Amino acid sequence: MEKQIAKFIVNGRSYEIPIEPRMTLVEVLRDELDLTGTKYSCGVGECGSCTVLIDGKPTLSCCTLAITSKEKSILTIEGLAQGITLHPIQQAFIDYGAIQCGFCTPGMILTSKALLDENANPTREEVKEALAGNLCRCTGYVKIVDAVLAAAEAMRKGGK
Amino acid sequence: MSRALKSFEYFEPRTVEEVVRILFMYWGEAKVLAGGVDLVPKMRKRQIQPKCLVSIQRIPGIDYIEGDGAKGLRIGALTNLRSIELSPAIQKDYELLHEAIHQIASIQVKNMGTAVGNLCVGTPASDIALPLLVLGAKLRIVGLTQERNVPIERFFIGVGQTVLQPSEIVTEVLLPSPPAATGGAFSKLVRTATDVAKVNVAVTVTVTDGICQDVKIALGSVAPTPIRANKAEEALKGKKLDQETIAEAAETAAEETKPIDDIRSTAEYRKEVTKVLVRRAIEKASKRAKA
Repeated sequence: MEKQIAKFIVNGRSYEIPIEPRMTLVEVLRDELDLTGTKYSCGVGECGSCTVLIDGKPTLSCCTLAITSKEKSILTIEGLAQGITLHPIQQAFIDYGAIQCGFCTPGMILTSKALLDENANPTREEVKEALAGNLCRCTGYVKIVDAVLAAAEAMRKGGK
Repeated sequence: MSRALKSFEYFEPRTVEEVVRILFMYWGEAKVLAGGVDLVPKMRKRQIQPKCLVSIQRIPGIDYIEGDGAKGLRIGALTNLRSIELSPAIQKDYELLHEAIHQIASIQVKNMGTAVGNLCVGTPASDIALPLLVLGAKLRIVGLTQERNVPIERFFIGVGQTVLQPSEIVTEVLLPSPPAATGGAFSKLVRTATDVAKVNVAVTVTVTDGICQDVKIALGSVAPTPIRANKAEEALKGKKLDQETIAEAAETAAEETKPIDDIRSTAEYRKEVTKVLVRRAIEKASKRAKA
């Protein structure tokens, strides 16, 4: 099918890109926009590595046709830091050793951001529930949950 | 796994009428795209290769939850699972539907996937179909020349097969008011939190003075479609809900299943587990009926 020009709003910036309907959002982000922070892993919606926020909601970019997200607000991991200042969730993942290979990290952090935007003071159980769709195969989830709880506290104290 | 999907023609109609017209034109070679959580992986794995996709995502007015337990409730074709899970009306008056969706672990899948889409996949393991079966739901189906309401127990006809004609779509789920003195429960057994159920069960029980006035038991992943355990239901009606009666009914329900061996479980194991899940679900539902 022929390509058509579609407008995408990614991390607050607007892009006009020729796309085919068969292109998934993760392909457009990585291959067309060079935003390689979003990871492609299982390709079938099981692992959560490709998670981005569309209109604030955690969404699997490998199962989303790019054309369906045109003109919606897309947030990827590249859009979180303010200049060289990391987002409190990013900082907490570093401080708490919640990263090993890093492949699941962008998805983990974006899903956590959606949780904390809805619920500024989650319990440990609520964090685990929110992250159930994001798999980590390196270590385990204890440090990741610790980091999200620490980030929540930092954000409540005023770091945004 | 190869990343790219094969090419297809793509439409984004603005009305249900247009959807139906396109489906009619492509007769059987078009697929409806709602959330995409089932469709896109199957296309990537080349399990299906539709000539055409018809997205319903940009049709206005089909994403809603309207009504409550007193009047009955309607859920639109584009309403995602997360919205249903968080709906106060559903939490209050259709507790077991909330319970079923709450046990679907991935927030991403619930943000994207729709209840209607889940039903149209026609999987015998559907966590959505079972609560709807015991709640007495009907599905509104729209075609080129006619509309019809189909009770959900007549919707599924085989693995991946429903009564939907190639030019029809489901536009909404209709839930009746729950009867008084009735409780419901849903439970399932899974390998991991995000996996498809090995066995899943939904129950509603109407209890007055400790006597079972009415009961509905739906079982998933144990037959080619979601099923009702009719014999077990009959065995319970009019009886006092004591431990022995419930255990007997759970045995009967397990006998009504026709499970298969697959990567998730053996048939034998599924039958055993059906007993346990049915027993616990009846116990939980009858406690809720009294509350």
